[in-house]
Amino acid sequence: MDTHLLKDFVQQIHPLTEDELTAFCNGWQPFTVKRKTILTAAGETERYLYFVNEGVQRAFYLGDDNKEATIVFTYPPSFSGVADSFLTQTPSLYFLETITASNLLRISYEQVQELQQRYPGIQQLIFKATAFALKGALLRHIELQCFSNEEKFKTLLKRSPHILNLIPHKYLASYLGMDATNFSKLMNTVSI
Amino acid sequence: MKTVNSVMLLETLRENTREIILQAEQLKNIPVELLEKTPAKDKWSAAQVLEHLNIYCRYYLDAIEKKLHHDQTETKAFFTPGWLGNYFTKLMEPENNGLVKKKMKSPANALPATSPGAKEMLDEFIKHQHHLLNLLQIAKRHDINKNRIPISIARLITLKLGDTFRFVIAHQQRHFIQVEKTIKAVKPAILKPEPVLN
Repeated sequence: MDTHLLKDFVQQIHPLTEDELTAFCNGWQPFTVKRKTILTAAGETERYLYFVNEGVQRAFYLGDDNKEATIVFTYPPSFSGVADSFLTQTPSLYFLETITASNLLRISYEQVQELQQRYPGIQQLIFKATAFALKGALLRHIELQCFSNEEKFKTLLKRSPHILNLIPHKYLASYLGMDATNFSKLMNTVSI
Repeated sequence: MKTVNSVMLLETLRENTREIILQAEQLKNIPVELLEKTPAKDKWSAAQVLEHLNIYCRYYLDAIEKKLHHDQTETKAFFTPGWLGNYFTKLMEPENNGLVKKKMKSPANALPATSPGAKEMLDEFIKHQHHLLNLLQIAKRHDINKNRIPISIARLITLKLGDTFRFVIAHQQRHFIQVEKTIKAVKPAILKPEPVLN
């Protein structure tokens, strides 16, 4: 099992001791899935924390008109899974699916709980990761409410320029809350 | 299907079930009148299809739940489908092109009411799907070869638990293709614009 990406990723968020790092990495299981696989359905409670070694995933909410609102993308190296459902152990409001074939690691809620209780460093790691996720979510809330389409587009490209080649544009458009035609107009007019 | 890894099979079946949940959630946004409209005299409405599937879920999920509750077997790495299990699953499974192979007649004990409520049927169906997801998860810790479930139309005939899951899920996939077609067929009838009067 390949945990070196995971190790590097974790050490950047919150450095763990040698013991803590070994204990943390041992709990994960490799998990490989095809593209367009639903990992968690709305109504289901997230059982796993994922780590992305390869591939792109997205979470989407099914709107009134069956339009899918993309909430978040995950790609290597990062955690994945329906974070709020995982942390609260309550049913997810949205779906998590793979966009491309994905090479993941996963660990169960119970295992994470156990590790957190045993190792203060791991407790701290999960807390920090959650805090950063919250920060990201609130920042995005501001962008969605206050930014024009062009500003949203520019901000996204500044933050994650590689995303343009990684993720189909219809999903990026949905992530920014605009329709696909407006997105492609911006692609053609905005100089990056 | 030949011998396969048990956990991988159950994992794939869970993925299939989640796809059905997505399709069912999409039905929530379709007007109830459309879900309850029959496309032709001798055809089922979407609500009737859902009731038909609910009849199967009520029987099979209950039977599986009871079986697993008392079961002492341990997980087995591999699952070998039975010939009858393969036969029933193949019969139900949509083709690769997403079409249903052959029309079939529903057994009398699985016939839906003439006009079941779409909302009730849909809510019940989604509840069953989450139950099914849980049972598939629990089944990972049991032997899905040795445990057998009687089939709904002839209780003396049993299928391996793994085959029962495969059959129930393939049956649902088959009927969701029907639901999609049914909705397409009834949609224009209601959404047709009113004739303009001069």
